[in-house]
Amino acid sequence: MKSIIDTFLSKLDNSVRWTGIATGAADQMSGNSSGEPKYRLFRWMPIWSIVLSCAVFVIFLIWPPVLDRISLGAFIAVLVSFICPIVCMVPIMYAEGPLGKSSYKDDEREATLRKDSFLFCFGLLTWLNCLGQPTLMILSHFQNWQTSHSLSVAASAFVLNAILFGCLPTLYASWKLRQMSKE
Amino acid sequence: MNLYNRISVFRAEHGVSRRQLAEAVGVNNQTIGYLERGDYKPSLELALKIARYFGVAVEMLFSLERFESIAMTLKRAGEGE
Repeated sequence: MKSIIDTFLSKLDNSVRWTGIATGAADQMSGNSSGEPKYRLFRWMPIWSIVLSCAVFVIFLIWPPVLDRISLGAFIAVLVSFICPIVCMVPIMYAEGPLGKSSYKDDEREATLRKDSFLFCFGLLTWLNCLGQPTLMILSHFQNWQTSHSLSVAASAFVLNAILFGCLPTLYASWKLRQMSKE
Repeated sequence: MNLYNRISVFRAEHGVSRRQLAEAVGVNNQTIGYLERGDYKPSLELALKIARYFGVAVEMLFSLERFESIAMTLKRAGEGE
């Protein structure tokens, strides 16, 4: 039992080290800190989060029989408990980068990057919702969706929006930020 | 429209590191790197600060046209003498 706990705790330790936050904090506390934030590109986690939430949305859009096997409450609970941690991890793991950093530390390039990232995100979300909402309403009318089907599609669309809002700015900033060679 | 600069040339000539220049003009040293690489166009304020740091006019550092190569400048200077 003790070894299982040890393994679990060591895995937790490793996961914290993997985020780079511990190294950054140690660097800041060492007194030899450069004072400069260490940037890291952060692409795959947002991509996987978006792909996963898109997949869930599409599945519940085109494959309603799935709903017969699980209740709506369980579905929402599973969805939220599974996806929310991923969304929460994005800004935390990106704490060393432009989007997780406090804005008062931004110089003009970082402020521009932050602004561009959110503008891109808001623009894309606006278009997706402008096109998606009428499409879903038309689909629900012509396919005579049941209430449970409509609710699940609405819930998964909400989660998809939340994921896109949480991940797109980080993804955009990481894509725009090419790695800088050391002098 | 491209904005060309020769910050790296002036930096090398003055023996100034990216970090020193960045601290002098109040940005992160990565921003100087992105400027030199042409990935970021500076604000007028930052351009003026950099020009003031090197003690030259802003046109000496930034241009809308590609700067003449150093070899060509030296050649022209040699012909003038």
